[in-house]
Amino acid sequence: MSVKKYAFKAGLFAALVVFPLLVRDTSLAHLIRSAGTVGLAVLLALGLNFTLGYVGLFDLGYIAFYAIGAYTAAILSIHGWSFWLILPVAVAVAAAIRVLVGVSILRLRGDYLAIVTMGFGEITRLTINNLDFLTNGPKGLPRVGEVIRPVEFFGYQLGLDPSNTDFYYLILAFIALAAVLCRRLEDSRLGREWVAIREDEVAAELMGLPVARLKLLAFTISAAFAAAAGVIFAHWERFVTPESFVFWESILIVAMIVLGGMGSIPGVILGAVILAGTPQLLQAGAEFLTPYLGAGFINYRYLIFGLVMVLMVIFRPQGILPSKRREAELTQKEAGVP
Amino acid sequence: MTAPPAGRLEGQELLVVKGLSQQFGGLKAMEGLDLVLREGEIVSLIGPNGAGKTTFFNVLTGVYPGSRGSIRFRGIEIRGRKSHEITARGIARTFQNIRLFANMTALENVMVARHCRTPNEILPALLRTRAFYREEQGIEDAAKELLTYVGLRSVGNHLARNLSYGDQRRLEVARALATEPGLLILDEPTAGMNCGECEGMVELIRKIQSRGVTILLIEHQMRVVMGISDRVLVLDYGVKIADGSPQEVQKDPLVIEAYLGKEPLRNN
Ligand SMILES: Nc1ncnc2c1ncn2[C@@H]1O[C@H](COP(=O)(O)OP(=O)(O)OP(=O)(O)O)[C@@H](O)[C@H]1O
Ligand SMILES: [Mg+2]
Repeated sequence: MSVKKYAFKAGLFAALVVFPLLVRDTSLAHLIRSAGTVGLAVLLALGLNFTLGYVGLFDLGYIAFYAIGAYTAAILSIHGWSFWLILPVAVAVAAAIRVLVGVSILRLRGDYLAIVTMGFGEITRLTINNLDFLTNGPKGLPRVGEVIRPVEFFGYQLGLDPSNTDFYYLILAFIALAAVLCRRLEDSRLGREWVAIREDEVAAELMGLPVARLKLLAFTISAAFAAAAGVIFAHWERFVTPESFVFWESILIVAMIVLGGMGSIPGVILGAVILAGTPQLLQAGAEFLTPYLGAGFINYRYLIFGLVMVLMVIFRPQGILPSKRREAELTQKEAGVP
Repeated sequence: MTAPPAGRLEGQELLVVKGLSQQFGGLKAMEGLDLVLREGEIVSLIGPNGAGKTTFFNVLTGVYPGSRGSIRFRGIEIRGRKSHEITARGIARTFQNIRLFANMTALENVMVARHCRTPNEILPALLRTRAFYREEQGIEDAAKELLTYVGLRSVGNHLARNLSYGDQRRLEVARALATEPGLLILDEPTAGMNCGECEGMVELIRKIQSRGVTILLIEHQMRVVMGISDRVLVLDYGVKIADGSPQEVQKDPLVIEAYLGKEPLRNN
């Protein structure tokens, strides 16, 4: 890494660390919560980047693993488990489900895979919606009289302070860890193997790569990321309902990656910040903007979002901060059987 | 069936194919193929377009499952195995239509193929242990050595798709060699090459043979076939119609009729 890049990253990180301290006692304090929400989106996007970004597999049911993480956390927490124990267990549950489902669907390619994963996402949501005894259906968890326990960190309880600063830091720490993890995987033989599979699956298998296993691994790592984000989400909100895990959310995360630049860690983070951050800013700015744009303007945000995506795909298909390789690929086309 | 000529039987049997068939719906692309390859030989597989040569390569490397028959490599049945397992056992190939990892560098192409000979662990990569760096360095060194071996050292950092056609074919060979094959199969390695490039490829193939690698190649240029082969196999309509020394095959009336349309085989 060049000195400049390193300085930029250190500076950015420092700014993110001091940000809540600067705003928490001002009228902008609500931005801390918004930033936390954006942070969860960043975690989710970094996870999906493994499949969509590196291996090039479309997963339109990704949000299911966020749901599985959140619900596993809610259920276990109600039974008295601590956050730090729930975290690995929820990740393991999501990974196990991913492997079970993955084994049967990974033979599918392209559109078929997208449709089947989409189906899986919806089935998961519907199951949660109807499995009353476990999930309390549409009413969500916890039930009356139950609680999701607060996160404890060496005896300190997170979230007592209403400014959300604690969770902001927790999420920031997870993002930092996740980014390092992503970079190290990308920048190792595993990363090379995933790219080779994306380039030419048949040739990769013929050069000795166990393609099915490597795809499954990418899928599993991405599910683990989503589950971890879900665990944090459940503990932060201390309330989960199936509504948070609709199909639209999966699409949104795919869009973050496409917008930012598939397979590029800074790109994916930026994409998530833009797409998750814009609605937050619009909401925050609503009281200033409403007199000019009318009360209904916020309803146009999806329209604007759609327009931006279309323009992106036409004029900058590689994303805002693309990886070098993806940029090169755009002038390439696919090959069939040898 | 012609018996392999005496005097060429030095090597041990490396590959034994028996009754191998591949059907696509009603089309018998390959029918009851028998052949034996011995350690250290260079064998050419020839035949008219659509004869089933590439199909044989595909069945041999597990791309197609094959409909019937057996393939024994070093005494072990490999038909129907997954391609990466077959590669791990020691068969590597190149492709008729070049299939490099186009947007990876030449070096990365070779490095990836090297992976199947090095242990794969995630934890060292995450923790960036000494072992991780050592392994990465080892992979890179081996890949660089292979690039030098095929004469591509200077273009190691170029994207594969930006290489010249001849260099792409060489890179495919280097990539296949990175898997440490006992049997290297080349699908038309000189296709589309000019005279100079073609001679370079022939030289390279000889050099690889001298490393103790057995080579089976599909080839259309008769000059190459006659110059390089210890033995020539001829396929027509999915059936083997001849198997012998270049001289024998050249004179075989069946071959002349099926392959060359009743004209004597020319030497260039
Ligand atoms: N996947 C497939 N599905 C259906 N038919 C196929 C398939 N692969 C090959 N074939 C057919 O099998 C026959 C043999 O094809 P193959 O590619 O093996 O020929 P070849 O000897 O390599 O010819 P060439 O010299 O043109 O490369 C052809 O008729 C081809 O159309
Ligand atoms: Mg062919």
